Amino acid sequence: MMGRDLSFLLPELVLVGTAMLMIVAEMLRAARLGLAIGLAGLATATLLTLPVLDADTTVFSGTYRIDALSGWAKLILLPGTALALLMVRAEIGGRLREGSVHALIVLVTLGALMLSGAGDMMLVVLGVVLTGLGSFALVAWPRDDAATEAAMKFLIFGAVTGAVMIYGLTFWFGGTGSTLFADLGRLTGRPLVLAAGLTALIVGLGYKGALVPFHFWVPDAYQGAPVSIAAYLSVITKAAAFFALAQALRDLPREAGWPLALGLIAAATMTFGYLAALVQSNLVRLLAYSSIAQSGYLLLAVVALGASELALPALLVFAAAYVAMNLGAFAVVLLAGRELSDLEGFGRAHPWVGLSMAVFLFSLTGIPPLFGFVGKLGLFAAAIDAGHLWLAVIGILNSVLGLGVYLRLVVPMFAASERHGAMPMPAPLLTVIALTLAVTLSFGMVTGLFLR
Amino acid sequence: MIWLALTLLAPFGAGVAILALRRAPAAVAIAGAALGLAGALGLFASMTRGERIGAGLPFLPDFPISLEATPLTATLALLVATVTTAVLIHAAGYMARDPERVRFFGTMALFVAAMELLVLAGDWITLLAAWEMIGFSSYLLIGFWHGRPGVAGAALRAFLYTRSADLGLYLAVFLLIGRAGTSDIAATLDVTGTPALIAGLLLLVAAAGKSAQLPFQEWLLRAMAGPTPVSALLHSATLVAAGAILLIRTAPMLPEGVLVAVGLVGGATAVVTGLMALAERDLKRLLAASTASQYGFMLIAIAAGAPVAALLHLIAHAAIKSALFLGAGVFQHDRESTALEALAGAGRARPGIFAGFALAALALAGLPPMAAWFSKEAILTASWASPLAPWLMPSALAGALISAAYMGRALRVLWAGSAERAKAPVPFMAAGLWGLAALAATLGAAFGPLEALLGAAIAEGPRFLPLLGLAAAAGGLVLGWTLPPDRLLGPLFRQAETGFGIARALEALSTRPVLALAEAVERLETAVLSGILASGRAGLALAGAARRIDRDAIDGAIFALVDRLWGFGQRLRRLQSGLIHRELALSMIGIALLVAVLLIAPLSS
Repeated sequence: MMGRDLSFLLPELVLVGTAMLMIVAEMLRAARLGLAIGLAGLATATLLTLPVLDADTTVFSGTYRIDALSGWAKLILLPGTALALLMVRAEIGGRLREGSVHALIVLVTLGALMLSGAGDMMLVVLGVVLTGLGSFALVAWPRDDAATEAAMKFLIFGAVTGAVMIYGLTFWFGGTGSTLFADLGRLTGRPLVLAAGLTALIVGLGYKGALVPFHFWVPDAYQGAPVSIAAYLSVITKAAAFFALAQALRDLPREAGWPLALGLIAAATMTFGYLAALVQSNLVRLLAYSSIAQSGYLLLAVVALGASELALPALLVFAAAYVAMNLGAFAVVLLAGRELSDLEGFGRAHPWVGLSMAVFLFSLTGIPPLFGFVGKLGLFAAAIDAGHLWLAVIGILNSVLGLGVYLRLVVPMFAASERHGAMPMPAPLLTVIALTLAVTLSFGMVTGLFLR
Repeated sequence: MIWLALTLLAPFGAGVAILALRRAPAAVAIAGAALGLAGALGLFASMTRGERIGAGLPFLPDFPISLEATPLTATLALLVATVTTAVLIHAAGYMARDPERVRFFGTMALFVAAMELLVLAGDWITLLAAWEMIGFSSYLLIGFWHGRPGVAGAALRAFLYTRSADLGLYLAVFLLIGRAGTSDIAATLDVTGTPALIAGLLLLVAAAGKSAQLPFQEWLLRAMAGPTPVSALLHSATLVAAGAILLIRTAPMLPEGVLVAVGLVGGATAVVTGLMALAERDLKRLLAASTASQYGFMLIAIAAGAPVAALLHLIAHAAIKSALFLGAGVFQHDRESTALEALAGAGRARPGIFAGFALAALALAGLPPMAAWFSKEAILTASWASPLAPWLMPSALAGALISAAYMGRALRVLWAGSAERAKAPVPFMAAGLWGLAALAATLGAAFGPLEALLGAAIAEGPRFLPLLGLAAAAGGLVLGWTLPPDRLLGPLFRQAETGFGIARALEALSTRPVLALAEAVERLETAVLSGILASGRAGLALAGAARRIDRDAIDGAIFALVDRLWGFGQRLRRLQSGLIHRELALSMIGIALLVAVLLIAPLSS
């Protein structure tokens, strides 16, 4: 029994071993070796996921799910983490404690994998804590005022929402006598207990997924943290939160009212994120608000769970697109600078990078034939299929706002300006941009297969 | 199948080749367009033999991406390919000295490929994707000279206006797919009842946005900032035509209620934008306003239940308007301006070009036996027989009179005045212009067989209708030639000059509220930070609670953590004034709302 369970857990086990070896490498002051181990470990874990992609089972007495959702989630999160490692290398390579950052990132990703396979409340809590602790440290890495304050804010929000989550989830345990999501069906007819646990789950994972009104830490944390860490947090831990939400809500009857509640949150998140992004002048803050808006879109797929066959595929496809295009956009920011004015004429001075940025931003808007377009199409189709036409309308209306936000970046990039001369182009960053660009450009067609 | 592929892939391949090789862009683009034209001709020929071609992805038969060639779509594809070839030949001369020719011809070729895709789309997903692609590539083309003042803004405006209206298309498509259970366009046209009504109205919004119908006409006038060949292409057979094409293709589905709305929009646009054209002081903007007005005619035809008449007018207008723009491009080169004042006498300096321009202008005015005469006749006949005749007839006649008047005025301005400074001959530009002008004059002869091919003949109307049309055309031309517009329009002139305030009203209704809302959100954030929230009367109790939590719980936690773990005593003060507690209070309100919704929602379901 144990042996069978462990054979399904090979990717996670490889990741644990990788993180340990990376810490050893850091103790030996061999940061480059640590990075190499990390990349190799992530690649191995990705490959080991492939054989169990078709599985639909659970391990450890039903607490951890090995199914299509968790399998595809690994295929999104693990390569995404590898790209983030390369970005970290480009930004803080050669500085003190670089290796610790690499190792922490791998550990946080382990937490993210747990979230996306969670079949049990305790595993959700564990995943939130594991991703949270590592993330606070990552944000605080620069050890200056801004980073420290950002990490503090992040931590306090995490502490409060975490407390609410754990408290609320005890109601579910009390109601069912079990911590398994699969047993939640027993709660039918006990609306108060159901509502308490749902609130808890939405608060805890909404904080991690940057949903309004639990998003306040996001702009500050992204701004205070190194850009590469902001990029990592904006995709990996966020996507994991939505996977966890999907795992839990799959087992709950829609009559419990969560589709409406989540729909309202999705509408508020999209609208708020884009409106706030419209008036930002700091590039990192702008991308932070834009990523809040994108969270609202991700939530569309979760809202459609249980009413539309398209919901899970749409969630995975858009998550994959989002990881690629958002990482790419942050990588360009790493090159160009943190202020909106840094972009002036950047596209002219560096046409290839500028064009890549334009592709990322247009994909975030949802312009065909880019990956983001296919993702959003899936989300809207799922929402409408589930009977939430109003939500799709709000989403489509917001995409006009989004266009305004992203054109504010694209237009100055190709204006004439003398600001930019030759600058060093670190190879790891160019690799990240090239890979995310390739995915953003070409995966639109490929995923059509998957949506069928 | 081969023809279908050639029609699409030739311009696409040309675009990719230009952008990749970066040399001989004009030659490659024209070669691509010519190959595409050959493909479209082949396609059209196989239609006349009664074949019907459909194609999906060869390796993915279930994938909802398909093309279809029917008499209607093949005709449109041929139209696009013909106009494109002529315009690109003209552009080879027009852009000869532009340093960014590669970008221009590359984008043009890709734009045309996207348009062919839109025309030949057999399912809604393909059509949506192509629709977005032409919107985006026209943004690139309108903003081609983005270094010049005002150009980037014009391109952005065009994109935002049309994209806002595109929402209609998205919703309509989702609704139709949801109803019919398939994304095949032909199959979704069977939808009836309320869904058809709603979908039809949404389609009308999308079409009005792309075809610059009221109240969206403003972007088209501003889009004149782009190179003139771009305008020629946008106005005749591509971007603007997409709206009318959408309605022509979905016409069999549109219920009575939608037809009324289409007729109202089309009739109003034909008259209002016609008046704007008459009052315009710039030749290109005059032509742009005229475009909106002519698409108004097509909407009238659709409302009258005669989409074939709309198609005929679309074809006639495509040849005419692209010829007019190409002529305007030559004059623009000569005088380096498109203001009517500066162009006085420009026509007399180049009689050959002027003759081509005049031929097209007379055709647009609706003089027999040229193309638009037949199509306007068909529209008048259909309007006469339609139940909406009391609205459609007067607006169609007034529109016809006004279009003849503004063409008369343009001809007068170009001819009267000093004929100095003719520059070197312009063989490429003249060739493109004359090819299209010849089409504009003779296309009418092809309309009879085309109606037969489409299987929709237009009924005969009463005898006096042609006379009425002829009177409107001739009368308009004489009025426009003899009277200056301010005398002709009288008190309406001021209104028409400012576009009847429609653009400003729309701006006030849409753009400004969004910006105001964005600022309000920003203010909310600032307000949170400056503590206004806590001082609000309603928030008093809450603030008290928040303060307690803050003092007892959060601050305690912070003190403990900071003191014990990090010892950041100094920073504590800053953090305390970082107002996290107010933001947390907002989160708490959110949680309260969440609980309320979760408790109420199950009761209502």
